[in-house]
Amino acid sequence: MINLKDQEELFRLIADYLEEDITCICIGGTAMMFMGYKTTTKDIDLVFGSSQDRQVFIKALEKLGYTQRSMKTIYDRKRTEAKDKPLLFSRGEERFDLFVKNIFGFIVDCDLDKIEQKHDFVGKKELITYVLPKELIILLKILTDREKDFEDIMTIIDKEKNVDWDMIIDEAIRQRKNNSWMLLDLKEKLQKLRKTILIKEKHFKRIYSAEEKYH
Amino acid sequence: MIKEGKYTIERFAEEQGLARQSALNKLSRLKRQGYVSVDGGGRQKRIYTISKLPRRKTNGFYDTVNRYSPEKLQPKFDHYVHGRYTVEHAIIDGIKIGDVRTRDATKHLFRHVSSWKKLFDLAKKEGLLKEVLNLYSQAKRTVRVRWIPRRYLK
Repeated sequence: MINLKDQEELFRLIADYLEEDITCICIGGTAMMFMGYKTTTKDIDLVFGSSQDRQVFIKALEKLGYTQRSMKTIYDRKRTEAKDKPLLFSRGEERFDLFVKNIFGFIVDCDLDKIEQKHDFVGKKELITYVLPKELIILLKILTDREKDFEDIMTIIDKEKNVDWDMIIDEAIRQRKNNSWMLLDLKEKLQKLRKTILIKEKHFKRIYSAEEKYH
Repeated sequence: MIKEGKYTIERFAEEQGLARQSALNKLSRLKRQGYVSVDGGGRQKRIYTISKLPRRKTNGFYDTVNRYSPEKLQPKFDHYVHGRYTVEHAIIDGIKIGDVRTRDATKHLFRHVSSWKKLFDLAKKEGLLKEVLNLYSQAKRTVRVRWIPRRYLK
């Protein structure tokens, strides 16, 4: 487990070991910590704009003693067999899940108009990280579907009354063509959430009608 | 249960059913944890803003611009910098954000550049040399800014 302060210090240290400046997007627990939804996380999920950027980051991680590990015990089969799977690096209890542009078919863009926070870690080089809005964090948690991801979604919903479900569904529909199980997973998770919070029927209807178009 | 929102010390004490000093202690503790920010003080009455999520003070582009520029900006995102952040960095970030209001506010930062070399090194690294010179020439028309050393104009 890593807390916010340790995470920031680790990023600052990595910035010292980078060979060039890079930009990435924080998702998952890392983003949740930056936004104050939780205090510790097991894994640091980052999305890079290109595989070259990821390679630069990996080089810095390897200099710090991180080694690559298998996805098998963390992700389910359909995710481990996916085309755009992440590379995992760990050292002790900390683990980095490193994606390139694409999180199981969900394409993330680095638009400054759409981000919630920007963190610049200035060392010998610069590591710039963007944090996405809570709606996209929820959607990505649905897509990664690891142990505790649902718990994290509940944490966000518990602390935020104004979650824009329309935005989540719009984004999932927009990106459905890249991932055949995106809408099905979203529907399943919303049904699970419905047991504790109110989710209007119209949201389910939109998902059903969007999914029908692909059959 | 503390509700989110803006409070004066009297309103907070009343809402929580506390004496004034106890309310101050409670707010002080919440402030340390990042849940409260304070406005005012001195002659102005203090207004406490309580949020449900801990919020840290930003220290990035918008803070630099709003400190030096008479044209203030409403932040589009929270910008935190872990390390050194200078006016030169802020000019580059302002150009990257790119909308008209941000560019207008950024023009005023040219008055506070302490190292033209650093500014042009950063611009070169980001591929924004033309844009920096462009913004500088716009600034020169409307704001009193210092001359760029000639070697950078070539």
